Amino acid sequence: MNRRDVIKNVAMMLGGAFSAPTLMAMNHWEKPIQSHPNGVAFSLTQIQRNIVAEIAELILPKTTAPNDVSPGAKDVGVPAFIEMMMKDCYLQPEQLSFMEGLVKMEQVNFLELNDNERKGILKYLEQETKAEMKARQMKQTKMGDNDDHEDIKKVAKGLPFWRLIKELTLLGYFTSEEGIKASFEYVQIPGKVENIKLKPNQKSYAY
Amino acid sequence: MYLNIKATKNNTFDAIVVGSGMTGGFAAKELTEKGLNVLMIERGREIKHPQDYDTAMKQPWEVEHRGKVTAHSAEELWANKRFGNLANDESGSFFTNDKDNPYIEKRPFDWIRAYHTGGKSMHWGRQSYRFNKEDFEANAKEGIGIDWPIRYDDLAPWYTYVEKFVGVSGQKEGLDVLPDGHFLPAMPLFAPEVHFKKMMLEKFNRPVTVGRVANLSQPQEWHTKLGRASCQYRNKCVRGCPYGAYYSSLSGAIPAANLTKRLSMLHDTIVAEILYDEQKQRATGVRVINQKTNQVEEYFAKIIFLNAGAMNTAALMLNSKSNRFQNGLGNDSDQVGRNIMDHHLGVGATATVEGFLDDYVYGQRPNALYIPRFRNWGNDKQSYLRGFGYQGGASREGWSRGVNADGFGGDFKQSLTKPGQWTIGFGGFGEVLPNPENRMYLDPTRKDKWGVPMIVFDAAFGENEIMMRKDIMNSAMEMMDAAGFKNITGYNRPEVHLGLGIHEMGTARMGRDAKTSVLNAFNQVHAVKNVFVTDGAAMTSSSCVNPSITYMALTARAADYAVKALKKREL
Repeated sequence: MNRRDVIKNVAMMLGGAFSAPTLMAMNHWEKPIQSHPNGVAFSLTQIQRNIVAEIAELILPKTTAPNDVSPGAKDVGVPAFIEMMMKDCYLQPEQLSFMEGLVKMEQVNFLELNDNERKGILKYLEQETKAEMKARQMKQTKMGDNDDHEDIKKVAKGLPFWRLIKELTLLGYFTSEEGIKASFEYVQIPGKVENIKLKPNQKSYAY
Repeated sequence: MYLNIKATKNNTFDAIVVGSGMTGGFAAKELTEKGLNVLMIERGREIKHPQDYDTAMKQPWEVEHRGKVTAHSAEELWANKRFGNLANDESGSFFTNDKDNPYIEKRPFDWIRAYHTGGKSMHWGRQSYRFNKEDFEANAKEGIGIDWPIRYDDLAPWYTYVEKFVGVSGQKEGLDVLPDGHFLPAMPLFAPEVHFKKMMLEKFNRPVTVGRVANLSQPQEWHTKLGRASCQYRNKCVRGCPYGAYYSSLSGAIPAANLTKRLSMLHDTIVAEILYDEQKQRATGVRVINQKTNQVEEYFAKIIFLNAGAMNTAALMLNSKSNRFQNGLGNDSDQVGRNIMDHHLGVGATATVEGFLDDYVYGQRPNALYIPRFRNWGNDKQSYLRGFGYQGGASREGWSRGVNADGFGGDFKQSLTKPGQWTIGFGGFGEVLPNPENRMYLDPTRKDKWGVPMIVFDAAFGENEIMMRKDIMNSAMEMMDAAGFKNITGYNRPEVHLGLGIHEMGTARMGRDAKTSVLNAFNQVHAVKNVFVTDGAAMTSSSCVNPSITYMALTARAADYAVKALKKREL
């Protein structure tokens, strides 16, 4: 899938064309970006931090609907968690692709866009990432292994920005105290294991 | 020669046990309960049960990196990292720092170590299966390696003895391929697993059972006496169990040995050499190095049990050179360090299960389903030898299914709070054949920071294992297809080496002939009768079942023999 197709798909998903500001923003998408210099410790500027926070909140927003009152990614500290995890648990390939993604977001002036425009950008990113992950998976299958996701990381280029920020947003949110308690039935000490029947609308157990 | 009479007296015990893990703990328990004063020597730090299980009761949000391994830990525990995420905040401190304890790979070997009280019993998989009759006879029948000097019936009462003490939850099935044992109540299979079990019996006549696991489903009086309680189904065993619900040397054998008041323990103490007295033709004791102070000391005993883990036990024998044993203690056969076996894994299949959407599970089963060996069994005949078992199970997807799925936003968030579809996966544990060319030895020049020669590994899977792996993957896919599962994906990880099964064994094998083996039928070193090796090093073949319960049965049997021989003044 080339970029034009991706834009077309995303536009269709959003039920129409992109707005002019989004398309203008998109024109900056493939501008060459300055690569992160080798060996420099991973750190974010305040603008980049804000971008991370806004994207995380779009992935898992605060909701106030009567059937779903639950905090958002920002409420439970996901933005700081993402930065800490990128710094502590990832090596340079992932740190580079994460920075590359953030620089792109800066180039499209992500923070200046309205909510719909931001969602459009994320849809675009999602489709682009899907194509990239599929290509990786095929490469992996050829290696004779498509189960262990640790192996994906062995590919020279780091996992794409969207995959990283999405995984870390979900991990940070669904393992946070407020996130767990709002989302699941948290049981610290089950005391037994048994087969049960699921009740309508029953939430997952978390342990 | 200067002889410090006082030191000799103070440092003298009836028995020395090298290592405090799965078999060292059991040896100490047996020997102390039979009246011996025992010194157990552990090379790593002391962990106290249960107060030193720092992470055991942490809630998910209290684990800083939420299960992921930091780049720093991945570098420090470089060999351990090959297994997966063991080096994370939950369990990383219970594994050995590979950077401080390096080894040399002439060919790659995945060596996962645990230098502390309890060794790897602290976080073993707890799966406990007896070897079957055929496992003890196959070498002789097929002309592979050498014959075991014992048969199933020699070990059967000791299996029962160990199973009772340890506490194994399991289902009796009446199968020759997987002999029943002394079991506590079995854990349940989940709905899609029950379906799978039925289909496998119908379509292939292959039995499926729930895993036999050393977690107390119903503690007996002798368990509670040691402070062990019922499993709480948290499935956080790898952090150490504050309830003592799964068996470890820490929760079971060492407390039992302590009750006798005849156990002394040294920590941070590396056994560098076994001392041999040429005139008496016996070992007299050990030379140790304190890993913190580098202080060297000697300890003496009538009998010595080597339970340092197969690779370190062999290294210790190789490093114990004397005029009589120039290639290492008890190494007349040149078999010490050879015939490394393990179970090969990292091969199997995953699939999604349609339906069963109103079936769910409360609690976390620290266990899996087990598919006993069916290859080269009964009428089945393959182009390779021996067989494999599968371990795995079914579960409903949780929030992590959202990582690779499309979507974000409020509805997406809410959808992830409900259980997803069922998925199933299982992987093989394959038997590895003994091969003298698969070996470890001591590097002639390079030494670790305590001046002990470094271990070199030179081993790899052979053709039999490689052929078997293809069948493990294909058979798993075929069985899933027959059960009606969808999106079946096979895997056969190419980067798996010997060692990754963490069932390393075979480096001082038992046998009938001193020319081709290191130990006799009671795990005595042929030429040094007061030295016993009862860890994985003793294994003559590997079977495909998890080995710990067999190691412990061999240990209890050897300890019984040793004490009787001591009393008869034969040792």
